[in-house]
Amino acid sequence: MRNGRADEIAKLVEPGRVHRRVYTDPDLFELEMERIFGRAWLFVGHTSQVQNPGDFITTDLGRQPVIMVRHRDGTVHVLLNRCTHRGAKVVNERCGHAQRLTCCYHGWTFDTDGRLATVPVPEGCGEGFDKEAFGLASAPRVSQYRGFVFVSLAAKGTSFEDHIGPVKDNIDDLVDRAPDGELALDAGMHRYAFNGNWKLQVENVLDSYHVPFGHASTVNKDGVQFARREGDQKGAAVVETEKKQTAASWKDRKSFIAGNGHGWTSNTSLDDSKRSSPAFDEYKKVLAEKAGETRAKEILTPRLHNSLIYPNMSIMGLNIHIRVIKPIAVDRTEVNIYPIRLVGAPAAMNFGNIRLLNVTHSAASFVQTDDLESFVRAQKGLRSQMTDWIDISRGLGAEEPDRERNTTRGLATHEMVVRAQYKAWLGYMDEAA
Amino acid sequence: MTADGIGRVTFEDFIIHEAGLLDARRFRDWMGLFAEDGTYWVPAVPDQKSPFDQASLFYDDRDLMKTRIDRLEHPRIHVQTPPSRTAHLTGNVVIEDSDAAKNEYVIGSTVIMVEYRDDAQRVFAGRQHHRLRRNGDSFRIVQKRVDLINCDSAFDAMAVPI
Repeated sequence: MRNGRADEIAKLVEPGRVHRRVYTDPDLFELEMERIFGRAWLFVGHTSQVQNPGDFITTDLGRQPVIMVRHRDGTVHVLLNRCTHRGAKVVNERCGHAQRLTCCYHGWTFDTDGRLATVPVPEGCGEGFDKEAFGLASAPRVSQYRGFVFVSLAAKGTSFEDHIGPVKDNIDDLVDRAPDGELALDAGMHRYAFNGNWKLQVENVLDSYHVPFGHASTVNKDGVQFARREGDQKGAAVVETEKKQTAASWKDRKSFIAGNGHGWTSNTSLDDSKRSSPAFDEYKKVLAEKAGETRAKEILTPRLHNSLIYPNMSIMGLNIHIRVIKPIAVDRTEVNIYPIRLVGAPAAMNFGNIRLLNVTHSAASFVQTDDLESFVRAQKGLRSQMTDWIDISRGLGAEEPDRERNTTRGLATHEMVVRAQYKAWLGYMDEAA
Repeated sequence: MTADGIGRVTFEDFIIHEAGLLDARRFRDWMGLFAEDGTYWVPAVPDQKSPFDQASLFYDDRDLMKTRIDRLEHPRIHVQTPPSRTAHLTGNVVIEDSDAAKNEYVIGSTVIMVEYRDDAQRVFAGRQHHRLRRNGDSFRIVQKRVDLINCDSAFDAMAVPI
């Protein structure tokens, strides 16, 4: 696979199955870093993380360390975190504030828009030394939507608008939940890692099939999960205990795809008649005051529930959070989970969201840990050389057109969304793309 | 020694007992050490001010603690198949504060927990603070806070309390 020829790679994906090397081949992983993470629109961060000029966060986009920083003029820049002199990583903190960005090695100092500001002992530079040519490299393409910052590390390619398509509605659904129409990612983050390929996490975020089995330990003897939202007395019914099978309501859930690997699961009501607590009731009141009764009702029925914005982020609607998937090696992945503060919502409502996210998605949570175990075991199983293929054929041929957003619909317990991800994967991995 | 005459060793004995219950996987007995309003908190950043407006690794009240323990005892908790084995070591015990009016004491100690599971061994370490309320001859835990030295790192799945 070292040469990365598209016709060789194409043999790894069939309509209902995928070759195990897609998860285990280190050469293929390096190609993914170039061809997917080096090209696709990737979520970097949210503007609320860099509220004031000089605020920065750092992260990695595939193999590229980057800084997202707010400049004096208010613009948000995404810069390559690599000194243009001898290559050292310039900013070493995960987040912080700085007037200028100074490399620890020889003291080259950059402005917050990336321009090289000062060089110690400048008389040592050659006569033709052009400071303008030594700024920190900027991400070739940057796009923002309602505070969500995406970049593409390729100068050319699909526009952000064409890339995100109808899944953009999920960003609207989420932001509109804030009475002030604004999110703040200022409640820290959860970080977890696992010995498995990054796609195991990507494939999982819209997988409704695994819930009754993978999360059996979170379901009580009545087949009901623990309460996961502020104001809920109990969680979703996922198992019909008498029949010992997945609950009908669970089996009826839908998922949707609309190209580019993205997908989402069907809408959900945030305000069924049973949900009530002082914090939630107050939230509903504030939302109705700000948005009006009719609009508030719509907002409390988000059109998209969980979404995957392929390849590196997901917006989850139940325990609201933004999830960022960071490949480290073919068999090692880090995931960052950002709690969301709905600006304008009562503090108790935001606390409820943050507190329950600890329980569902911290590294020590009740839900995520069983998923991590499944990913680790998948990676172990995929090392086996006796069987080459994994099956992703559930619901193959049962997909239906959905007119509402001109998309394709299937059952959420099927594997249509995974097949859609591999279609996008092949598109990126085609060297000629 | 506290103003009301409780020696450091009394607190140390309690903390050793508490750690022993975790190592023995007697989670329900461990929960029984907590007051009705008790909380178990493992912050996700150093010097975290509050569990309310920031993510935490653990922030369990008694209700969440019970759900956690129901799950730890569930036969199909995959992340505990096989179960973790742990060894806690606690030391450097210091009485940091006492409030005679409330019968409450804050005890600082250092904890090291080695965890072995599924062919892998790892180490957790940090400073912990127990806010203890006098309860007859013993104490109830009002809050146990564990500040891991690597609290803001990316962790592989954690299933058992520290």
